Amino acid sequence: MHCADYRELLSALVDDELMADEVADVRQHLAGCADCARDYDALEEVSRRLKEGVVRHSAPDVLKARIRSALAQPDAFSPAAEPPRAPGRLRWTTLAAAGLVIAVASSAVTFGALHRAGPGNGVPEALLDSHIRSLMPGHLTDVVSTNQHLVKPWFNGRLDLSPSVPNLDSLGFPLIGGRLDYIEGRPVAVVVYGRRQHVINVYSWPVNGASGTRPAAADQRGYHLVEWRAGDVEYWAVSDLNRVELDQFVKLFAR
Amino acid sequence: MAQREVERFERVVLPHLDDAYTLARYLLRDEHDAQDAVQDAVLRALRYFETYRDGDARAWLLAIVRNCCLTWHRRQRGDRATVPLLDIDVADIGGGRETDARAIARSEREALQRAVAALPVEFREVIVLREVQELSYKEISAVVGVPIGTVMSRLARGRKRLAAALGVGVQEAG
Repeated sequence: MHCADYRELLSALVDDELMADEVADVRQHLAGCADCARDYDALEEVSRRLKEGVVRHSAPDVLKARIRSALAQPDAFSPAAEPPRAPGRLRWTTLAAAGLVIAVASSAVTFGALHRAGPGNGVPEALLDSHIRSLMPGHLTDVVSTNQHLVKPWFNGRLDLSPSVPNLDSLGFPLIGGRLDYIEGRPVAVVVYGRRQHVINVYSWPVNGASGTRPAAADQRGYHLVEWRAGDVEYWAVSDLNRVELDQFVKLFAR
Repeated sequence: MAQREVERFERVVLPHLDDAYTLARYLLRDEHDAQDAVQDAVLRALRYFETYRDGDARAWLLAIVRNCCLTWHRRQRGDRATVPLLDIDVADIGGGRETDARAIARSEREALQRAVAALPVEFREVIVLREVQELSYKEISAVVGVPIGTVMSRLARGRKRLAAALGVGVQEAG
């Protein structure tokens, strides 16, 4: 064999992917050929640097939360009648439509589920649809930031309300960002927090002439919702986080 | 699909999410695109989970992630300039005065990331599967869908390009 024939085998030797007789053959060639030996050293050096220096990523919590949420959707498991589209920014529309059907079908049942009415009785369902939609790719946040001093001013001029954005990072609820959303036709502020792989959406909007109320809880479609009022602002927290930790979060947030 | 199947899916497939995300990051070179592609891949994997036989779940998932990423690539091509993003530790940036040794180590890491990001995708994917995910040639061949011989030659050529880009062992023109 000539040097050219060995060149490809050198890389495979670095990876320990050659047969024993090939290894012996290549090693023998390397012992007598300075050019190939230098090439081999270079390949080995590149491989070493890559193994040591290259970045390994961890899947972000938000991605895990999105996946968990998507897996919890009833239609996630249906066999591939319609193969999923390539990573799609459009898919949420179908999901939102599906959510709407569920909302309509179940609104009669959930009508009395909450003892206190917001602007309308459709609010919890609308919040839940918004929450689920927010977990689809690209919909969680309009402003992505872990800094409360960036998230809060972002709402200025976009809303007639400056939502509270407490820093709960040290308490295990990192800030993810914020977005504008529409609930029953009105713009609302949404501040997004994380807890391990879970996402917590905190909705708020101004209400007239109300005084503070204590948090009231409701469960729907496997999600937890908590409603409370502070001054003339109505708050809702929505998450698939367990009830105990969500209550703890609300206590810290409303503090 | 029964709840038991879903639980099995979560047990078998979800532990490889970090690897899936890492591959997507290298293939798409964008954090948000990578998240979208991985989410899409996992849902796709769930739909085809029945076709998964006991075996290497990681390689199985990586193959789906790769396909989602390449589909994504094709759809996005031309939409934007592909500027390789660097994965630099934030901690390294805000650290104030750094020692010469640290600065050198950092610039070496950056050069490495940049060199990998600049590789054509057919070389980049085998390099990442081998050096980061540490798959065997046989597994890489299954993930990429090419013969083992092709894996071997792409790895050899990819490393050669990296050696040139990093100035490793280039005493003479070849």
